[in-house]
Amino acid sequence: MSISQAVEAAGEGSTSEFRRGVASCAPVLFGTIPYALVLGAQATQKGLSIVELSAMTGLNFAGGSEFAAIQLWTSPPHIVLIVAITFLVNSRHLLMGAALAPFLRHLPRRKMFPALFFLCDESWALGLADARQRAAAGITPAFSPRYYMGAALAMYLTWVAFTTLGALLGPMLGHVETYGFDMAFPAVFLVLMRGMWKGVAAARPWLVSLVVAALTYLMVPGGWYVAAGAVSGLVSAWFFWREA
Amino acid sequence: MIDATTLFTIVLMAGVTYLTRIGGYLVLRNRTLSARATAVMEAAPGCVLISVIAPAFVSRNPADLLALAITFVAATRFSMLPTVLIGVTAAGLLRHLVG
Repeated sequence: MSISQAVEAAGEGSTSEFRRGVASCAPVLFGTIPYALVLGAQATQKGLSIVELSAMTGLNFAGGSEFAAIQLWTSPPHIVLIVAITFLVNSRHLLMGAALAPFLRHLPRRKMFPALFFLCDESWALGLADARQRAAAGITPAFSPRYYMGAALAMYLTWVAFTTLGALLGPMLGHVETYGFDMAFPAVFLVLMRGMWKGVAAARPWLVSLVVAALTYLMVPGGWYVAAGAVSGLVSAWFFWREA
Repeated sequence: MIDATTLFTIVLMAGVTYLTRIGGYLVLRNRTLSARATAVMEAAPGCVLISVIAPAFVSRNPADLLALAITFVAATRFSMLPTVLIGVTAAGLLRHLVG
């Protein structure tokens, strides 16, 4: 048995953990790629150059806020509006980072600052679900940084590459939405939520979030529904809580 | 070609986005939460995820709702890749058939 095989057999090898992260991200990319192409194509229609679009998706790397920014884009752009909407759409990251924080205590800050640049819905959800599973299985430390980085870098490279490709192809792309690829996101998120399932009582805040987010989406224009749904779910979790 | 105003906007976007990414971590990194606050934080991931996909649950297109129902059932039974394939196929087919 070679050294690398021995490391892989131990299950904690850096390469195998990284590869495990990339592999677990693969089904997610299936839904990401069509969206990336559409965003790139839309951006060129709004007058952004390919370099500008690549700079946005490479530096900002948060798809929801980029879609919102492109919808609102004018020439010249309304800076305050676009930055405020970006913050609003991405404010969920605050909560996501907070949920991840207990698993990151053993890691130095200087490592986490670059790693958190790559935090997105998918890499966070995969990393957190994996950490919880490993914690339940008694593996310490529960959070696997290389697994997280595998998933995160796969997302990042795919996002930047395919938004750029979308900008290059531009008008050649029709309406990718009509083919059903957008259903990949509910599919991914629902599977991740099943992994977090701890019984009906623990899931009541999720239902509150769903109802409030859906109603907000129907009644309030813009990206408010994510923040409204998430915050109301958390408030309800506080009130649902009973001393064990 | 990079326009200066555009670049400035993009850099500001990237800045606030990065602040949201490190903010929650920095605030909670060295705190020990009460049992109640821990329960709230345990509910947080599901609350965020379901809020992001909430618009799909109130789609006006019957084909989308039916596809979501199929995806939901698939998610309770199968792992990630089969669920994604079932969801995307169901949405694509139903939109084509139902309209």
